[in-house]
Amino acid sequence: MLGLVMSYQGKPISSQPLKITVLKEDLRVDGRGCEDYRCVDVETDVVSNTSGSARVKLGHTDILVGVKAEMGTPKLEKPNEGYLEFFVDCSANATPEFEGRGGDDLGTEIANTLYRIFNNKSSVDLKSLCISPREHCWILYVDVLLLECGGNLFDAISIAVKAALFNTRIPRVRVLEDEEGSKDIELSDDPYDCIRLSVENVPCIVTLCKIGYRHVVDATLQEEACSLASLLVSVTSKGVVTCMRKVGKGSLDPESIFEMMETGKRVGKVLHTSLQNILHKEESLGTKRQKVGFLG
Amino acid sequence: MPGDHRRIRGPEESQPPQLYAADEEEAPAARDPTRLRPVYARAGLLSQAKGSAYLEAGGTKVLCAVSGPRQAEGGERGGGPAGAGGEAPAALRGRLLCDFRRAPFAGRRRRAPPGGGEERELALALQEALEPAVRLGRYPRAQLEVSALLLEDGGSALAAALTAAALALADAGVEMYDLVVGCGLSRAPGPAPTWLLDPTRLEEERAAAGLTVALMPVLNQVAGLLGSGEGGPTESWAEAVRLGLEGCQRLYPVLQQCLVRAARRRDAAAPL
Repeated sequence: MLGLVMSYQGKPISSQPLKITVLKEDLRVDGRGCEDYRCVDVETDVVSNTSGSARVKLGHTDILVGVKAEMGTPKLEKPNEGYLEFFVDCSANATPEFEGRGGDDLGTEIANTLYRIFNNKSSVDLKSLCISPREHCWILYVDVLLLECGGNLFDAISIAVKAALFNTRIPRVRVLEDEEGSKDIELSDDPYDCIRLSVENVPCIVTLCKIGYRHVVDATLQEEACSLASLLVSVTSKGVVTCMRKVGKGSLDPESIFEMMETGKRVGKVLHTSLQNILHKEESLGTKRQKVGFLG
Repeated sequence: MPGDHRRIRGPEESQPPQLYAADEEEAPAARDPTRLRPVYARAGLLSQAKGSAYLEAGGTKVLCAVSGPRQAEGGERGGGPAGAGGEAPAALRGRLLCDFRRAPFAGRRRRAPPGGGEERELALALQEALEPAVRLGRYPRAQLEVSALLLEDGGSALAAALTAAALALADAGVEMYDLVVGCGLSRAPGPAPTWLLDPTRLEEERAAAGLTVALMPVLNQVAGLLGSGEGGPTESWAEAVRLGLEGCQRLYPVLQQCLVRAARRRDAAAPL
């Protein structure tokens, strides 16, 4: 986190008491174990103007993601595929440090990480986003809004992106070709006739912060301030790792890296199963679901 | 489109002819997965920079310069408990600003100078890998600027930039705990993929996954790690990290010799 090392709410803190507790008893300040997540609230379809949206509350971290599907020209090197564009906006409401251009650096960092984790063939089926090769394709603009910052941003954002992509409904279009060869795009009349994306292989990020000799999952702001180095691992539901990155200004022992990867994979799989259950449950409730939105 | 008005540009949409090439290039030749390309490293070549280094590995050419320490902008932080070894308190520690640039002719396609997201990401990766090695506590309220320029991308560009940056910092006389050595890896697509150490540009382009590791060889601490792609299960990534760390250890003696030679050259050139 920018500017938050060794200080919490503007006051310098000592990391010794925290390290001792975590080291000895697998117990953290709020009573969780080293591999426990805080309570996560996920809700999809919160914004009506988008093709798909989701809101995730992880402790004090609040993320809102909106996905808009628009038609455009495919990239030159990949004429048969659509693509995703990520944009992360760190709102000034999140912390005072994000006022003005302050949040831009963090926003670009998170957007680049998202590009990296989706940068492989299996995460999202990009061929299904193609309308006609070399001419038209769907571009999914995934916009992430950071409403409140309470630690562990990457995890919350990746959960929200996965939920939003699950919720995305792309209208079905057909390309009609005249005798003269001019093409026309026809949108289907039925507003519920849409393509859904398969999010089975969409990865989720698990950030493991090194505190003392052990590592913790889902660190709060205070714990992040005590940790000098973290490992960010992006895991799919099958346990395949798509991205790995060391974050922070400290260094890591090679053995801890291997341990952290294993923990990340284990925790990631559990996270995926719970998320899938919630998303399918929400989906099955259909129109009967009570939308909480921002009132809860 | 806003941008570079100084150069005469072609039409708005210009593409290199290779996109329309009919034949596929031949696949990269099979080779020993643990081979490291021969490295040429030289420190202390730029007269205007405090420290500089040039590294060439296969087709990858990187030039790195360090300037500073100079006064940091925005010094509003207060005091705090002092660190060990006479270092400044945490809030007053120095800063390391890294900049990574690609020359427009470095890759296969011409890329206009404000490279956007990718260069910022690599600059951040440079900073995160170099910070554990530099004793920033000894430069309170100061900032060190490291700028890496990639002249030609022949594969594992980030790894070469990391190594060159560490050499340049050492050449500048900046206090460090250890050198940082970078190594690139890539995994070919296919049924039985193995991780290849120090890939060439061709191997990197066809790769299903890529990884860069940065190691501090004497302390045996991993200073930086950046990887993405379809690497497979965690065991495969763990094997790649081990291979990378081994490659970094093998590269270390070359860098030591380079710094010794640079120091001798500086001694010989110093006025009496």
